[in-house]
Amino acid sequence: MRKHVSNLSMSHNQKARFQKKALLFLDYLVMIVLAFFFLFPFWVMAVGSLKPEKQIFDDLKSVIWAFIPREVSLENYAYIFNRIPFLTYFKNTLVIVLTTIISGLFVNSMIAYALARLRWKGKKYIIGAILALTIVPLETIVVPLLMVSNKLPWFNGATSWLDSLRVQIIPFICDAFSIYLFYQSFIQIPKDYDEAAIMDGANPFVIFSRIIIPLARSTFVAVAIIQLIFLWSAYLWPLMVTRTEAFRPLTLGVTYLYNMDIRWGPILAYATLSNLPSVLLFIVFQKGFLRSIASGSVKG
Amino acid sequence: MNKQLALVIRVCVLTLFVASIAACSPAATQAPEVTEAPVVTQAVSPTDIESDAAPIDVTLWFHGGSVGESDTLRAQVEDFNASQTKYRMTINEIPGGAAAGSGYNDAVNAAAVAGTLPDLLDFDGPFLFNYAWGGYLTPLDDLIPAELKADIFPSVLDSLKFDGKVYGIGQYDSGLALCGNKAILDEAGVRIPTSVDDAWTFAEFNDVLEKVKGVGGTEYSIDLKMNYGAGEWYSYGFTPVIWGNGGDLIDRSTYQTADGFINGEKTVAAVTWFKSLFDNGYATSTPPDDNEFVNGKAALGWCGHWMTTTYYDALKENFVLIPMPNFGERQATGNGTWVWGITKDSKNPEGAMAFIEFIMKPEEVLRTVTQNGAVPATFSATEQSDLFKKGGRLSIFGEQLARVDIATPRPITPGYPVITSSFYTALDNIIKGADIQTELDAAADKIDKDLKDNSFYPLK
Amino acid sequence: MKKQGYAQDNFFGWLMSSPALLLLAIFVIIPLVMGLGWSFTNKRLISPLPTEYIGLKNYDSILAIKIIPIEPILDDNGNPQIDENGSIQYLRVRDVIRANPKYLDFRLYTEFNAFGNHFGIIAKDPDFYRALINTTLYVLMIVPAIGIISLLLALLVNQRLWGVSIFRVIYFIPSITSISVTSVVWMFLYNPDQGLINQLLQKLTYDVFGFSPWLQSADTALLAIILYTIWQASGLFMVIFLGGLQDIPEDTYEAAKIDGANPFQTLLYVVIPQLRNTIVYVVITSSILGFRLFTQVDVMTKGGPEGSTLTLMMHTVNEGFRNQKIGYASAISIVFFIFILILTFTQRKIFKSENVLE
Repeated sequence: MRKHVSNLSMSHNQKARFQKKALLFLDYLVMIVLAFFFLFPFWVMAVGSLKPEKQIFDDLKSVIWAFIPREVSLENYAYIFNRIPFLTYFKNTLVIVLTTIISGLFVNSMIAYALARLRWKGKKYIIGAILALTIVPLETIVVPLLMVSNKLPWFNGATSWLDSLRVQIIPFICDAFSIYLFYQSFIQIPKDYDEAAIMDGANPFVIFSRIIIPLARSTFVAVAIIQLIFLWSAYLWPLMVTRTEAFRPLTLGVTYLYNMDIRWGPILAYATLSNLPSVLLFIVFQKGFLRSIASGSVKG
Repeated sequence: MNKQLALVIRVCVLTLFVASIAACSPAATQAPEVTEAPVVTQAVSPTDIESDAAPIDVTLWFHGGSVGESDTLRAQVEDFNASQTKYRMTINEIPGGAAAGSGYNDAVNAAAVAGTLPDLLDFDGPFLFNYAWGGYLTPLDDLIPAELKADIFPSVLDSLKFDGKVYGIGQYDSGLALCGNKAILDEAGVRIPTSVDDAWTFAEFNDVLEKVKGVGGTEYSIDLKMNYGAGEWYSYGFTPVIWGNGGDLIDRSTYQTADGFINGEKTVAAVTWFKSLFDNGYATSTPPDDNEFVNGKAALGWCGHWMTTTYYDALKENFVLIPMPNFGERQATGNGTWVWGITKDSKNPEGAMAFIEFIMKPEEVLRTVTQNGAVPATFSATEQSDLFKKGGRLSIFGEQLARVDIATPRPITPGYPVITSSFYTALDNIIKGADIQTELDAAADKIDKDLKDNSFYPLK
Repeated sequence: MKKQGYAQDNFFGWLMSSPALLLLAIFVIIPLVMGLGWSFTNKRLISPLPTEYIGLKNYDSILAIKIIPIEPILDDNGNPQIDENGSIQYLRVRDVIRANPKYLDFRLYTEFNAFGNHFGIIAKDPDFYRALINTTLYVLMIVPAIGIISLLLALLVNQRLWGVSIFRVIYFIPSITSISVTSVVWMFLYNPDQGLINQLLQKLTYDVFGFSPWLQSADTALLAIILYTIWQASGLFMVIFLGGLQDIPEDTYEAAKIDGANPFQTLLYVVIPQLRNTIVYVVITSSILGFRLFTQVDVMTKGGPEGSTLTLMMHTVNEGFRNQKIGYASAISIVFFIFILILTFTQRKIFKSENVLE
């Protein structure tokens, strides 16, 4: 907006230029202060994780030193890898999150397409039901869901889903909120697009994959990111359904450390390690991410 | 556009494919572990016939929390597996301490609902009554060999009985006392008691708290380990103050009401005194971590046995263990600790008992207590222990437990989970500034409601 | 030809919906129906006692609430007793409840003075009302806070300035971290005596703004959790606003400037009306998230101090899973759904957005 503030009358030119500079300076100042607010927990966490336990608190007293690494020591990280199967947890989280998101994109967008663009009996009720289901939080159905999951069969002959990765994946593939987002986006695509295709004899699958998906690509990215945010934080459910280390996700690891004998060094190291992958992933792909989520979530 | 799209779809499909393989493959490798679960086990594998050939899998859960205890137990499991070929014990550490709302209890409840409890389970003493009443556990009377039964202190065995049957076995009992930094106490000129018989009187204890404050670079008088947060520590660690003043959490004669006990005059007085420790600057309610005492922030520490090893390593000859003082009417401390129980659905109770027998051998008990500083629960281990014999570094713990007028068990009732959570929530609120009587009244109401909801926990 | 195309729709509609419907049926509908059934029983997680049908008793226990007048304590002359501060001493509400069989099972929620009299609010489950009020309070604060902050962030980083994309990334990063992990980190920062936040505030303000107990006091705990949530979630909503902002044509701004609007007026009369759908979306999403508040509370405060951060989700999980009363907890869930359903539909009515589903 502000870059357009210019070319008023000549006499005001200099004043305007000064104003513009002052505003620019103010903008950067505000942005930097905010950046500090959003970043300092990470910075303090990462710096603290490199210090021995006693030094962490001594340095907090002087404030400044809390932000500056001193003699860098990796003992907290060594402790993590010795005590916690970090890589297993990391792999589990990755598999859970990726599988759920990718299968969710297919399943949820398909039903959203059927609801938004096909004419069929019964869809009105389904739309209403899904809208109502967007507000069902997991916590309220967690006990019956646990009982249901305990009685489900699987291909390997197991009669319970507890203590597996699938129990952390399959119940969360279909998500009413994602369907709602897809529906919102699909309904706005002009009807003419598919009518032309129908004339050519294309079936709904073809229309969906050839026309709708490319047009709504940014919605797919947006839904994926919102799902990523939720799934990355899953906490109560994994606590209830996992029994062995082979199936625990990253989020539960911190409860190992946040226990009776609190040692902040390893906790900070664990927090750093477990946040690092998603942060790095995001920084690498940030351009595409931000653009898609921005244009994909709601269209005005 | 079309090319791009095709690419996107291909990448998606490929990723989905790879991910689902990844998702399935651990499930496949996990197959034997699924059959390990009690529900499915023997229906699938005919282990009874082939017991000589393949070792029988036995599963064990224990609560995470202490690194030292965890390491010791893991080593003991390895040694057990190496010592015989009949059973193979799998160990599974679950995060979180005792008490409702901790990760461990959540996991045990979830497993009980799903019928997937392991063969062997550890739990904090007073939870035994709830687990036994709820049908999680199997009685051990017929499984315990007579010589092991005879080796366990009768007082410990008695505390693990519900409805006349034994449901748990522990290697040790807990110790709770004060620990002091000798150099600072000497500098402040206070008397250091050396046995339960010359413990501090209440007045003397209050005087000590005032005298040691600020001495030798300390910031306050006593470290109450408030970093543990509202949880079983509050009930285990601080009800002795109430007992010592003649109060209690529930009517012990009937276990039918808490009203007039947890909110009775004597309890209120004891809690008021406890709260004053923070108001007078004798203690802090917000220590940043577990190391306040060893970092020299306080001259005294409220000390569970599990801290004694760390403290001794840090302070060496300056570490002294001091008996719990008189809190008004009498000296008081707690007892009861994490013990082992065998679950009702266990298909291998003999295997689970074999492991219990293994860890109850005197050398294994000593191995554990040398690490965690707890009081051995068997005659054989105590005889061989240097720490606990008369004059030993931790002998105070043993002396206290031997005196029934000092060591008091937490309430013996299946309603214990609600009693403890009501109490520690109330105490936590009080420390953070809530009205004492109102909070304890609310706790009494909650406990009474739970008793009523459960028809006062009738025995079968 | 065209007609034939639509005739297929019935078949393809069900076909394409079936995977989602199957999953929803197994993992949401069945558990919901089970919960509904349990809500009329005293079912417990594990118990040797039999499960009994108890009708609407759970609902009564959840919702029953009364306001009762509390009499002052009278001295020997029949006058109200006055304490040393000059205020009238009243009977203890708990004693009043226990003296009157009509109030059986009721417990004190709170007391207050009004119209020169003293009243007590009593309920059968005071924690439910505590949780309901906390959750509502939380939503009422977090929705505008997140909305305004994320909109301002979006306006700030929507400018074409050098390096602005770096700032976008920085503000968004907390959103992609896991809540249970960063909550623990914030507990470390919130420690009253040694935590960095208090230390920092003291240093920056030369002790003017010195000490806040944060999570340790009933007065500040909910605020502390809100502050954490703002830190954690505003980046996400900023990005959503960015999307809305980028859809506003450049010439709209030009037109506003020609009309002589200052930046504030432009924001109020041009930008905000154009962002209407985005705002609806942000408000609905953030209030749904607000009502679901659980993880950060479970990690940071467990609902304390004095129930000041107890949320409806927390109360449900505590009662159903931790206190094992799943019949009762299922009834709380049902009450919760009805409550949210009413709220969401009212919200949608208020916005009357044609864009939102029927």
